Amino acid sequence: MSQPDVEGHRSNGTTPDSVTNGRTTIDVDGLEVVYSDGTAAVQGVDMTVPEGEFFGFLGPNGAGKTTSIKVFATLLSPTSGEVLVNGFDARSEAHKIRETIGYMAQETSIDPELTAEENIRFACEAYGVSRGDRDGRVDELLDLVDLADVADKRAEGFSGGMKKRLDAATALVHQPPLVFLDEPTTGLDPKARNRLWEYFQRINDLGTTIFLTTQYLEEADQLCDRLAVLLDGQIVADGSPDDLKRQVGGDVLDIELEGGGAERERAMTIAQTFDAFGDATVTETDEGVSVTSERARQHGTDLLVALRDAELTVTGFNIRAPTLDDVFLAITGEKPDSEPDSNTAEVSQ
Amino acid sequence: MSTPGTDSSAETRERRTDARSGNSFLGDVWVNFKRWNLKAVRNPFVLVVSLVQPIIFLVLFTEVFGNVAGGAVNRGIPGVSYETYLVPAIAIQVALAAAITSGVGLVNDIENGMFEKVLVTPMNRTAVFLGKTAAEMFRIAVQIAIILLLGLVLGADIATGVPGAIGVILVGIVFSLWFVAFSNALAILTRDQESTIIGANLLQFPLLFLSSAFLPLDALPGWIQTFARLNPVTYGVDAARSLVVGEDVMTVIEVSWFGGTLNGVVPGVVVLLALDIVLGATAVYLLSRASSSDVQ
Repeated sequence: MSQPDVEGHRSNGTTPDSVTNGRTTIDVDGLEVVYSDGTAAVQGVDMTVPEGEFFGFLGPNGAGKTTSIKVFATLLSPTSGEVLVNGFDARSEAHKIRETIGYMAQETSIDPELTAEENIRFACEAYGVSRGDRDGRVDELLDLVDLADVADKRAEGFSGGMKKRLDAATALVHQPPLVFLDEPTTGLDPKARNRLWEYFQRINDLGTTIFLTTQYLEEADQLCDRLAVLLDGQIVADGSPDDLKRQVGGDVLDIELEGGGAERERAMTIAQTFDAFGDATVTETDEGVSVTSERARQHGTDLLVALRDAELTVTGFNIRAPTLDDVFLAITGEKPDSEPDSNTAEVSQ
Repeated sequence: MSTPGTDSSAETRERRTDARSGNSFLGDVWVNFKRWNLKAVRNPFVLVVSLVQPIIFLVLFTEVFGNVAGGAVNRGIPGVSYETYLVPAIAIQVALAAAITSGVGLVNDIENGMFEKVLVTPMNRTAVFLGKTAAEMFRIAVQIAIILLLGLVLGADIATGVPGAIGVILVGIVFSLWFVAFSNALAILTRDQESTIIGANLLQFPLLFLSSAFLPLDALPGWIQTFARLNPVTYGVDAARSLVVGEDVMTVIEVSWFGGTLNGVVPGVVVLLALDIVLGATAVYLLSRASSSDVQ
């Protein structure tokens, strides 16, 4: 398996010439964060993000994504380790970091009593955008996030997607070279999500380094040049989205079976020895079996026929692209704990 | 491809200078002062409602208790109508009521994410809270001015004229600061809008009634007199009242350092300033703790 050059490699090839130029915007060495209640949220993270890259932290709830991003954005102090952001130390030069980053929190953060325009104008003033540039910047950002026609409306009446877009605009007022996006699309419908993705892609194409966290492989796949998979406060895998999917090894065929353990055993044996799939990964699930193979799409129906011939009753099936769960399964050999989080608004996959 | 990447921080610094003109400390105060004033204007309902209760007090108390209370008042301060006696107390009540909403504003900011959003900006954090507090002081000044005007309409008399009226507003502001600090501290500790409102409101009426606000202290039972001597409201009301009637009517501290009226104003203001510093420092400590660590 030929590994692509991981550093700064653009896997999806949407930008003609890579904008990375060898400088690093984030340089982390041995980061650990322990909360006052003793929870070790981040346990030894080392990473670098070159300038211009679209980098993603992928992981389930509670993996330490938000904790890490808050350390980079100077909202939390690291317990130990070195953190350099835009060349500034997170402990001693927090103020310089704040001047050179944009940050979009996981929870939508806007002032609902102010209009869209006033929210952006406040951010301009807060970041010290010079007086002469403010009007232009406000108009430009309202256009960028398609809120120009509601510029004078109070934000409290906006939909979730509009609020997120406004929030994103306020993080960009000072044209920061580095922008942090903490689960920016959680809770949005697919249409709103796609729209946000376009904006992020656009500002990245203009040369802005982006650091994103997400729970969704699809989102990481769509946007990121490079990913680190975070689990229980540690990076367990790192590479381009293609690398990670290659670790999963193809598409996933979920099969629901009638009967119990004995039937599932037989089905697993059949699937494992099924020639057309090559080397497939077969796992038992609550409803039946799950088969992961690069040829699951082409030959999935053949397997269903084979199961029927073996007098097993298939009550349902589904072929899908691998999800974050499958990536974790492939990388760690176990499913991530899906601890329900208070802010887990499900996004339809 | 580009210049050698030996000095990325110098490059970012350079890039920053054309984007950020750089706010001064006062610039940061101003930015936040504007936001909170804008929010206040956006909620005319809150502005009006927080004035309604003091106005009801002013009108009802003078109409209902005026005849009865007037006698007790005149035993202490001869020749002063109950309207005149009550107006400074209502001014202090307005300051108290407005100060409660300060903590509510902070809780709202924490809930809608603006608190954290402001923390990631390069704005000076002290300036951020000074701007917010200044906006609240401004609002209190306007509301006290409205009460004083209304008092004049109802027949009250401000013996010291316009300078005295401005003095009452300043006393109101000095008085409000300790309660602003208290309601913000409550906001950080509870992080809950209802708890902050209830917690601050619970205190409002005992503080008002167990003081020299509505009746002279010697007309009140002994235990209330004892409490009133420790109650900041007494110091605020007596200082403001000294300005309104134009003589020293401070009931809890007797000084004779100055001539007449100031003997009633200065001790009250000094006590309130000391309280402002103590509670202000507590609130600042809680705020800086909340903004630097366990944000989760």
